Amino acid sequence: MEITNPSTGSFSVSPLRKSLFAQDILLIGVSFVLMAFFIPLHWVIDFTIFCILVLSFDLLYGYMGRLSFGHVLYYGTGAYMASLVLLHVSRNPFLAIAAGVAAGALLAMVLGFIVLQTDGAPFALINLAFNQIGFWLIASGLQAYTKGEDGLNTTAGTLGFINFSNHPFAFGFFLVCLLLVFVLLKVFTISPYGITVRSIKENEDRVKFLGYNVFYFKWFTFVLSSTLAALPGTLFAVFYGFVAPTIISPFGNTEVIFAVLIGGAGNLYGAIIGGVVYKLMSNYLATNITRWEMLLGILLLIWVFRFRRGLTGYAWEWILRGKRKPAVEV
Amino acid sequence: MIETLIYGLTIGAILYFFSIGLSITFGTMQIVNFAHGMIYSLGVYLFLTFMALFGKIFPFALVLAIAAMLPISFLIERLVIRRLYGESLDYAIIATYAVLLIGADLIKWIWGAMPQPTSDPLRISLRFLDMNVPLYRLVVFLSAVVLFLALRAFFNRSIIGKIVVAALEDRAGVRGLGLDVNRYFSIVFVIGSGLAVLGGVLYAPIATAEPYMGFHILLVAFAVVIVGGMGNLTGTFFSAFVLGLVIAITARFWSQAADTMVFAVMALVLLKNSLLAAWRRVAKTVMGAG
Repeated sequence: MEITNPSTGSFSVSPLRKSLFAQDILLIGVSFVLMAFFIPLHWVIDFTIFCILVLSFDLLYGYMGRLSFGHVLYYGTGAYMASLVLLHVSRNPFLAIAAGVAAGALLAMVLGFIVLQTDGAPFALINLAFNQIGFWLIASGLQAYTKGEDGLNTTAGTLGFINFSNHPFAFGFFLVCLLLVFVLLKVFTISPYGITVRSIKENEDRVKFLGYNVFYFKWFTFVLSSTLAALPGTLFAVFYGFVAPTIISPFGNTEVIFAVLIGGAGNLYGAIIGGVVYKLMSNYLATNITRWEMLLGILLLIWVFRFRRGLTGYAWEWILRGKRKPAVEV
Repeated sequence: MIETLIYGLTIGAILYFFSIGLSITFGTMQIVNFAHGMIYSLGVYLFLTFMALFGKIFPFALVLAIAAMLPISFLIERLVIRRLYGESLDYAIIATYAVLLIGADLIKWIWGAMPQPTSDPLRISLRFLDMNVPLYRLVVFLSAVVLFLALRAFFNRSIIGKIVVAALEDRAGVRGLGLDVNRYFSIVFVIGSGLAVLGGVLYAPIATAEPYMGFHILLVAFAVVIVGGMGNLTGTFFSAFVLGLVIAITARFWSQAADTMVFAVMALVLLKNSLLAAWRRVAKTVMGAG
């Protein structure tokens, strides 16, 4: 018997919020288009894909407080499923994207029951374990289908103007995906449902005492987050027409975690800013600075000890400076 | 088959050396210490340098490497780990991961990215029932057993050991007695780091040294710590050997699957309780129906 509060099932959004979405969409859309004038377009496309992945991770880590070391598993699953569909079933790119997302969702539904039995460090590590198993399956276990280290070469079909090897089209399509994911997550996080999820981050036991079925909320959020991680994977597969096991390698998780931290966890703008800043850094610095990993390590240490709230956290504080009044007058 | 068993026990011994420190920081400070992998790999590279400098005397270079790593690990504990105590788990994971990254890059900077093989220091194989068993592997295994007994004595008899065991149980209680728990933790942390270097050096002749060796063993050692129980030192000993055998036996049939099997075992152990509960529910339903 599930105990759920009827009010949590709704995703009601006030008209005020709706006008805010228009602002968000305009702001993010214009920023990405402007970015395309200054840096190569294929980089911006890469950033867009990465930002969707970071957004999905922010839901799990920033909003629900579950640090996973295996988020890339779903990204890689999406990418491989899309490639396999392109290769064996149909060259329709939309079918490949849908199949990849569905595969990620199905995997998350099953694994969600298992991994959510744990919390804290065991949660991070059991996700890592599943990611490692997935990586091994792709790299050698299912070599017959995935071609192991050689990877899969695919070409997505074209339908009129829909052509994913055409950079401007791909950019436009991926940007729309990014905006849709952003709006979806925004609706999700400001709805009563999202507030319950954030309460679980603060104190799971108290939410339980209030009569909520905590496991259901956690499971649904985990599945949503993983499904949204599979989406950029499929976009990657459709755009590049090539996937290799590195896409699902557990080391990829550090990139995602770091991007969320730079921007500020638990903030959707933070995820996008973090994703862009991280990609800019890794693209420029990694080519110009030999000791890139050391620099990354030092930056991470500075972040942990001095700069926890991330870029958006500090920006927000700066904006609110002077405006904030103490909640309780003493 | 005997060769496989001995290989498994050797791997188990190495895993045990490495996992003790990890298990203690896990159990006492609730910190998932990725920096342990950095101490391990840096220790091995220092060992290789000392080998080259001082005429390939294995034990001498080993002792020097451990001695050189002790102050470094002390500094890491002071500057990074201690500041993370009482913080949420994520910050600890990220900060120690940063130390691991810095270590790997430092190694690439100083020694280069090429893997560096080391030869078997004993070069003696025992002929045994038509099989070649390198004596070195037996020595590694036996030294792990000796170390296990020595650590038992240390934790059960010496006052430092007793304080640490008590603090593993109830940190606040020990502090309430007026003892500076942090000081004892830092002693044990340094001991654990020394043992990680020992494990790394003993493993070097079997595997090869490469800058990312710390990442690899860390993943397996986390499995050891989780299977054995965090902060449970006897559990760590047995799980290290069980997982070592799992690796060796899997590798015999399918070498790429070895690590994956370890993670499968870890997943089973983590989910033991929920699986048991689910099984009971199923059994109950079946019994109830029948």
